[in-house]
Amino acid sequence: MSDLSRNGFLKLVRGGFLWLSAALGLGGLLRFLNYDPNPAPQSEFDLGPATNFPLGTRTGIADGQFVLIHDELGLRAINTTCTHLGCQTAPGPDGFTCPCHGSHFDLRGDVLQGPAAKALNVPSVELNDGGHLILHD
Amino acid sequence: MYGGRFARSLVSDFSAMLPTKNKKQMRPSFFHHLHPPTTPAAQARWRYTLGAGGTAFFLMLIIGVTGILEMFYYIPNSQEAALSVQMITYHVPFGGLIRNLHYWAAQLLLIVTAVHLVRVVFTAAYSRLRRFNYLLGLALFILIILLDFTGYILRWDEGVCWPLITGTNLLKTIPLMGNYLYSIAVGGGEACSSALIRFYTWHIFGLVLPVVVLSIWHAFRVRRDGGIAVPPPDLRTDHSRISRDELVRREVLAILMIGILLILLASFIPAPIAPAMMGKPGLRVEARAPWFFLWVQQMLKWGDPFIFGVAIPLGLFAVLAFIPYIFPQPAESDIGRWLPASNRPAQIVVSVLALIILALTGLSLLPA
Repeated sequence: MSDLSRNGFLKLVRGGFLWLSAALGLGGLLRFLNYDPNPAPQSEFDLGPATNFPLGTRTGIADGQFVLIHDELGLRAINTTCTHLGCQTAPGPDGFTCPCHGSHFDLRGDVLQGPAAKALNVPSVELNDGGHLILHD
Repeated sequence: MYGGRFARSLVSDFSAMLPTKNKKQMRPSFFHHLHPPTTPAAQARWRYTLGAGGTAFFLMLIIGVTGILEMFYYIPNSQEAALSVQMITYHVPFGGLIRNLHYWAAQLLLIVTAVHLVRVVFTAAYSRLRRFNYLLGLALFILIILLDFTGYILRWDEGVCWPLITGTNLLKTIPLMGNYLYSIAVGGGEACSSALIRFYTWHIFGLVLPVVVLSIWHAFRVRRDGGIAVPPPDLRTDHSRISRDELVRREVLAILMIGILLILLASFIPAPIAPAMMGKPGLRVEARAPWFFLWVQQMLKWGDPFIFGVAIPLGLFAVLAFIPYIFPQPAESDIGRWLPASNRPAQIVVSVLALIILALTGLSLLPA
């Protein structure tokens, strides 16, 4: 038989219930606060006819969130959101500069200078049957 | 019959709280708890306390009252927030003054609490039984920084978007629970479009409530721990004391001086205001953190956001929290005076930390 007295047992049960209710309450609170009321961000953009983007053009898309570049290297989109902490980088003649902490990226999105460690994201761009360019983030 | 008795007992209950000549009959109130009959003169001097703790309480009162007044006009939604701030500032009678007072009292509160912390370390006032209250004070300091940041975000003008994005994205870099913390703070989605209602609730309730509780607890503990920090009676050189009336007189003087300073600041230097945030501000706006986070922004230019933006700043507070626990305890005779030799390590650590923060802030202000 165990040494647990009636009083000790009741104390244990009481403590257990208190901790359990605290944990359940906290869990519920965290789930309550964790709900995301916002719709999922748009991930597909119809850019219009491909002929709108001839060689040598650079076009900002969705408030500058993407830049569509058409140059000797081909046609590609670059997500201008800095991979360091999420500020929107500014396109310049030879790449992108982050206004927050000074990262530099080249026109392919690769890091030229930190603090960013990763290249800018390159979303895929495809031509649909109607001749429109579709960007998938 | 009954009404008369009720009125009489109500009057007598209220009059019992008023000061009377016959002080012996009074029960001690919270006011008396905070104002002992006498206080050691050496430790009640301005040049010992700098009046920092009391000033912080007065500033909190101003911030609370002006903040409640602002709530009568502020609209916490993305479309109208900045416009309602403009309305408070430019249309509501005395609105600009109220907002400027709220702003300047909040900036001063940050400085005063920092000065208070430095004073407590430099006078070894955190020692022994006071170290729990030191931790309460440190928690208050952190809450006040968060209140300043959330209040800054509530302007919801184009200047606050990048600091909001970087500040909240820092949460995401925390291993394991980062995304969870982010969605609790921001509510998911893009910070610059959805975070306002969360920041509003954190600012006026989620952070203010613990500040109120901890402030009262902090003040209560000062008296519980034996009033202002002094050496034990047998080790004191100066045994003179000041009366409660003298203490209150000095407090009123401080309130008047701080009040005048606040009104001058609020009248002549307006709180920052900028055009409303319309989506991400793109390149139009300089990306600069609020002044109290410039040092973090400067470190973030060096690399990994978790290390420089989360681990080091939190580590700094951890070092401060551990001071009364890991450094040698100051000698009892050293308590209650400036820069005693027995807590030199703590003084050096706090000085170095403060100098680093000031240097980083200065560095961030240099043109790139």
